Amino acid sequence: MTELLAISPAALAPAQLELWAWLSDETQRQILLPALAAGLPVIIMCAVLSVLVVIKRLAFVGQGVAHSAFGGVGVAAMFAAITGVSWAAQGSAFELGIVVIFCILAAIGMSSVSDRKAVQVDTGIGLFLVASMALGALLVEAARSVASSRGHPVGARSWESVLFGSIMTANWSDAILAAGAALVVLLAVFIIRRPLLFYISDETSARAFGVPTGAMRVALMIMLAIATVVAMRLTGVVLSSALLILPGAAALKVSRRVVPVVLLAVSLGVAALIVGVGVSLQFNWSAGPCVVLALTLFFIAGAIGHRVVAIRTPPPEDTPATPTPIAS
Amino acid sequence: MNAPAVQITRTSFTYPGERIAALSQVSLTVEPGQRLGILGPNGGGKSTLLKLILGLLPVQSGSVQVLGMEPAAARRAGLIGYVAQRADLELGAPLSVRQVVQLAAAWRLSPFSMIPSGIRQRVERALAITEALPFAERPIGDLSGGQLQRALIARALACEPKLLVLDEPTVGIDAPGQVQFAKLLSDLHAKLGLTILTVSHDLRAIAAGSDAVACLAQRLHFHASPQGLTPRVLAELFSHDIAGIAGLPGSLEGTHIHAHGPGEPCSDPAHSHTHATTSVTLTTPRGQADGTISGRAEQ
Repeated sequence: MTELLAISPAALAPAQLELWAWLSDETQRQILLPALAAGLPVIIMCAVLSVLVVIKRLAFVGQGVAHSAFGGVGVAAMFAAITGVSWAAQGSAFELGIVVIFCILAAIGMSSVSDRKAVQVDTGIGLFLVASMALGALLVEAARSVASSRGHPVGARSWESVLFGSIMTANWSDAILAAGAALVVLLAVFIIRRPLLFYISDETSARAFGVPTGAMRVALMIMLAIATVVAMRLTGVVLSSALLILPGAAALKVSRRVVPVVLLAVSLGVAALIVGVGVSLQFNWSAGPCVVLALTLFFIAGAIGHRVVAIRTPPPEDTPATPTPIAS
Repeated sequence: MNAPAVQITRTSFTYPGERIAALSQVSLTVEPGQRLGILGPNGGGKSTLLKLILGLLPVQSGSVQVLGMEPAAARRAGLIGYVAQRADLELGAPLSVRQVVQLAAAWRLSPFSMIPSGIRQRVERALAITEALPFAERPIGDLSGGQLQRALIARALACEPKLLVLDEPTVGIDAPGQVQFAKLLSDLHAKLGLTILTVSHDLRAIAAGSDAVACLAQRLHFHASPQGLTPRVLAELFSHDIAGIAGLPGSLEGTHIHAHGPGEPCSDPAHSHTHATTSVTLTTPRGQADGTISGRAEQ
């Protein structure tokens, strides 16, 4: 980790060369291109959503949704172990669908528990997070023994791939799936952008102005769940929530205009993907953590820049047109 | 004859799971063009009343009518302009003042249509009348308390409402800002003929921007012109929340209250002139330095 944080721009140059070398070689290109093609839509989708997540302070919700994927993986593994059908095996569209549904239900559960004020918001999210992880761990373990006792192939994922992802093993099917998911999510964001932005920036007023805030909350949770599940392939459960926080957080440190913030978040996400994959090829490290660390460095740079600008900018003042003294 | 701006008749409300009613048998009428200040301690039911007026809570008993309609219908028709507490706004949102105002006026538009010139003009008018044009391009997070309040009022006015509802409007605004704010409300009232409903636990906010006062703590303790607002009423209202009146010392014993409506001459020889807005002055035995409240905004 220390070595990675200490990477200087000079050290990144060989990494870029390594990336280029991979692209020049036919065999390696067949590994790298699907990985980048799968990573690009995921990172763009997550970057756009991250702006909403940061403004609405949903970072912990994102974390909760991401970890709920464990439960979905466990349920899918158990189904595959009991039935033994090939279409329910790990990495299948069925598994992905189960995980998406599980994440959406968990997200809506977290949202409604928080909304009813029966428990504190963070307690409610934490509850779903740990319960999903525990359920997933138990079900995967049970699925393995059920599968072996019935003579079915053990289809449960390895914990490492669930936790940290494996973008370099992505194929063109993964890329098409990621592109489709990103298209759906980005189109949805575009269509509901006005009420969504109103809801994100001022929920109480939006409700008073007639915005269907409940529907906006559910829509946002569904989009977060889809993004999380697709991002799992890239960075795994543990780090996928980072993709839903860091691009937006870094961009909001640099700009206070909505369109530039979104464009900057996407640019930083794409840059982090290229740098992360390049570094991972150069040093033979996992790509997911490299991408996340690249984003973290962008955020730190943005935060330092923001601090410098804030120190140099005087605070706003009320400028009364005709100052009126307080009556005595 | 015009329907009352707000007509509440024997309305009670109890939140699910609670045993104590948030509101008990409240009846209240606000005439068109009136400026009513609803004063009460924290937890006294002000927010509940406000949500009933906005149609955000169901009416459990009695009736609530806004401009002769069901509250939710009036809200959907854009007849109610709402200014929320500033604490509800995400100040980190990358939106300019103009964009915040535009969102309120344009959120219903088709996603594929541009904002039409009619809405743009309404937005510009709202920004102009609230004197928010000089900082219309600034991010909302960069505004002072007074500027932010003007931006939020501009947002409420962008829908061209008949009733303006303000929730704790002076929280986080310094004294000069509060005086400016009172003047702005007075100007809006004069120019647009709006009915203005201000809800606050701050006596100064109520006094400076209202020509009638209602005191609420679960039930309605007082509803009339400010002349009848006595220390006894205030003591009853704030007995458990004396600090709720901004700047007031811990006891109301010996407090003198001096109140009158807009345009009425002061009976107090010390204030022998006419104020354009409501004036409520509390003077404690410990004197001004110890926390006299003067809620007047003179013109």
